[in-house]
Amino acid sequence: MNALPPPPLRTRLWALCTSLKAAIVLASLATLLAMGGSLVIHFNPQLFGDLDQRTLGSWLAANLPGHPFRAGWLVLLTVLMVLLAGNTLCCFFDWLFRLRARWRKLGEYLLHLGFLLIVTGYLWGSVAGDRSSGNQLREGETVPLSGKPGWYLRLDRFEAVPGPGGRPVDMRSSVTLLHGDQPEKSATIRINHPLLWEDLVILPESFGRSPSGFRFLAAGGRSIDLGPGTVARIARGVELQVLDFYPDSVVDGAGRTLRRGETLVDPALRLALVKADGTRWTGWYRLRTGVPAELAGLGLDLQPREPLFQTFTVLTINRDPGARLALSGAAAMLLGTTLALVSFYRKRRLGDRPSIT
Amino acid sequence: MPDLTRILLGSVFGCYLLAVLLYLLALGRTGPATGRAALVLVSGGFLLQSACLAQRWWSAGYLPVTNLFATQFFFSWALAATFLYFELRYRIKAAGLFVILLNLLLLGSALPRDPKIPPLIPSLDTPLFTLHIGFSFFGYAFFAMAFSLGVLFLIQQRRPTPLLPPLAELRRLNEEAIFLGFCLFSFCMLWGSLWAYLAWGFYFSWNIKAFWSFIVWLFYAGMCHAKFVRRWQGTGYAWLSIAGFGVVLFTYLGIGLLMASNHPLD
Ligand code: HEM
Repeated sequence: MNALPPPPLRTRLWALCTSLKAAIVLASLATLLAMGGSLVIHFNPQLFGDLDQRTLGSWLAANLPGHPFRAGWLVLLTVLMVLLAGNTLCCFFDWLFRLRARWRKLGEYLLHLGFLLIVTGYLWGSVAGDRSSGNQLREGETVPLSGKPGWYLRLDRFEAVPGPGGRPVDMRSSVTLLHGDQPEKSATIRINHPLLWEDLVILPESFGRSPSGFRFLAAGGRSIDLGPGTVARIARGVELQVLDFYPDSVVDGAGRTLRRGETLVDPALRLALVKADGTRWTGWYRLRTGVPAELAGLGLDLQPREPLFQTFTVLTINRDPGARLALSGAAAMLLGTTLALVSFYRKRRLGDRPSIT
Repeated sequence: MPDLTRILLGSVFGCYLLAVLLYLLALGRTGPATGRAALVLVSGGFLLQSACLAQRWWSAGYLPVTNLFATQFFFSWALAATFLYFELRYRIKAAGLFVILLNLLLLGSALPRDPKIPPLIPSLDTPLFTLHIGFSFFGYAFFAMAFSLGVLFLIQQRRPTPLLPPLAELRRLNEEAIFLGFCLFSFCMLWGSLWAYLAWGFYFSWNIKAFWSFIVWLFYAGMCHAKFVRRWQGTGYAWLSIAGFGVVLFTYLGIGLLMASNHPLD
């Protein structure tokens, strides 16, 4: 008997790439690896604690060199998912060549295409995106967006929404996205309602309060609020300007006043007195030390009464260039799964199954 | 209203309990009337439970699945629906007994808990949450059915009995339960990912519960293909269905009991 010649290498390679068994092996290996890996994550919180706060790419870049054994499984899992996606791509093409004969499997094609797009989108976002949490903004403040030169985010208004018990349950931040000084998009973001713009997603994280100035009692029982930017016209054509406010200050050996922290401990205001003749004095009023002689000399006995606070919002600003691709993948998968589901019984009645391996 | 809920819950539990007893009786004496009475009881229990769910949904203004009582109640309802789907379609009788037993266990352990519906916090105030949870429990229910069918396949294989459907039928039903469960669970994952993107700014999370949900999904995706491989058909598939349900149980209960997670529903 003449033995058949083995098929050419190209054919065998393609058979491997489109092999259903390969898909099962890859999915099984990925499942087992992920199970083991989840335990590694669980028992190493100090290493993996910020895994969700960073893209996979940047997390691996930061942690793989120092922890090759504990972090290495993530690389392996990524490789397995890439191989599975490659396998799916080959199967997808293999089917496409025969699409006309297999239109009934449209649902399955879309489902597989969806998976492919989601994996590609995820990898793209992991490499080219970035995540930034803990961005504090006060009303009127603008911050540059990392990874998007020339783009800024401004907080226009912030409001903590109280629940029935009075405790805040939601955070509304009205923000404007600026390209240069040109507003591109404004939105009020709150929980589950982020600002989506191109590859950006901006969402509320938390909020807080920080000391922003002080209320003083002036002569005649009048109260006056002073914080950075305040300008007050005071006695005999003299203008008082507040240049800066430190909630906690310290004086160094050279006599300079420095900012020590953000908690109210030893507050200080940097003031300027501008007289009508143009002469100017600037100096610090450290509230625990007493009114500076320059103010007292003008009869300005500013006695501190209470601190003033300003609320700030804390935002997460993530950039994920692959998110749209992943979203189209999700749509394809949703549609594909629905079609596969509703056509299941009809296909089964027709005995429509792939040939058994 | 909690009183009405309690009365309804008690009646539902009573129906399922009686149904299980009748199904067990039907196993001993294969009288068709006993099986039919059991089916009537499960259907009655399901209708009452549906009414209870509808009333709770209506009064809360959202699908109440935000605490352990409510998830157990909903899971139990999904299990009953899945059982009825298979029973009415294929008259599987004893083959679905495990599902009804599990249902009884879930409902029984939920009964002593407080059925009060907590106010909805804004992070859960989205239809994506309803879709995510609804599909997840239906996926789980079908996986539970596959587990039941898998166990009975192995029993039928080792000790053949006329009380159970034939092996070929059990195999076909098992494959069906896995496929339908996988589709429903895929919906759960897709809506959940979209929700995560809008709530957290990323759609794939490494938090232990979300990660194990991905593991469940990947496991059953593999199973959807294993049925095309001759070696895995029948016995292998039955064992995989059993193992798969172990993974599901760990994801639903084990993580909450053994590990801390920051998933919004823990
Ligand atoms: C994780 C990725 C994948 C997922 C989620 C997935 C999911 C599915 C699902 C749900 C089905 C339908 C099963 C049924 O009809 O009962 C299916 C069928 C199928 N898949 Fe996949 N699959 C994946 C990857 C792959 C890969 C890599 C291949 C290529 C080897 C492949 C080949 C097939 C084949 C040949 C079928 C049968 C289609 C038919 O009924 O004619 N799948 N897949």
